[in-house]
Amino acid sequence: MTMHSIRWTIRALLLIVSASAAAALLASPQAFADATDEYPIPSKQIETQCDAEQYLAAARDTSPVYFERYMLDKSNRPLDVQQMAEDRIHWFYSLDAAGRRQYSEDTATNIYYEQVATRWGNWAKVFFNNKGVVAKAAAVCMNYPRGDLSVWDWPVAR
Amino acid sequence: MKRRMMAGLVTALVALPISLAPTASADRDTDFATELHGFGIYGQRDYNAWLAKITCKRLTTGVDADAAESAVFLSGNLARTSSTEQVWQFLGSGLRLYCPEHLGKLTAMSNDHPEAP
Repeated sequence: MTMHSIRWTIRALLLIVSASAAAALLASPQAFADATDEYPIPSKQIETQCDAEQYLAAARDTSPVYFERYMLDKSNRPLDVQQMAEDRIHWFYSLDAAGRRQYSEDTATNIYYEQVATRWGNWAKVFFNNKGVVAKAAAVCMNYPRGDLSVWDWPVAR
Repeated sequence: MKRRMMAGLVTALVALPISLAPTASADRDTDFATELHGFGIYGQRDYNAWLAKITCKRLTTGVDADAAESAVFLSGNLARTSSTEQVWQFLGSGLRLYCPEHLGKLTAMSNDHPEAP
């Protein structure tokens, strides 16, 4: 084998390797986030018949530390952002299960979909982020009064 | 001579607050955890401290009207294996350390036992 042919063989091999690498990159499945029945919003939150205040009161009693931390976080936000969060969660509970599922899909696939989250990332943490918290609160929330806005006024230590 | 007296005075002034400082009992959360261990209640120290403080807050805000309601709250949030006795021990110890102003609610409970027929 001459030097010339060795060189051409190596070139050919390199071409094959880079072409197959490029092909693999292009053909790889596109990574896209999609909602499931539990993520980003747990199914029990999608299906519950409770309103925001019933759920919040239940979470106060069933996951007190989680609730406390949410309220602490909330109290550190500007008042208009706090109000935005309350209004938005009221809107969420006004949707039926299909609407909530669609909203879950929308927030999972587009990080800019939820406008409140651009001001406060964890604005709905106690409502959406923890399946266990949601399960425990959703199991008993029907025992609390509807629309009792006083649950939002939770004093936090400074 | 004068300088030496000054030095002595300064030393005394520095030493005074150190010797008068309360004996280092780490902090309240640690004391609480130690008491709980005595009752056989374990688990995360911070969680237990939060829970006691929240119990106090619930009494202050009126979410829990009396010690019985506090006990219901605690029994739902302490480990499932906790006995009724341990729940009340947690409550007693927590109120004493974190909000002694509510201790009266605990003693009120022991006074209003219905008379036996």
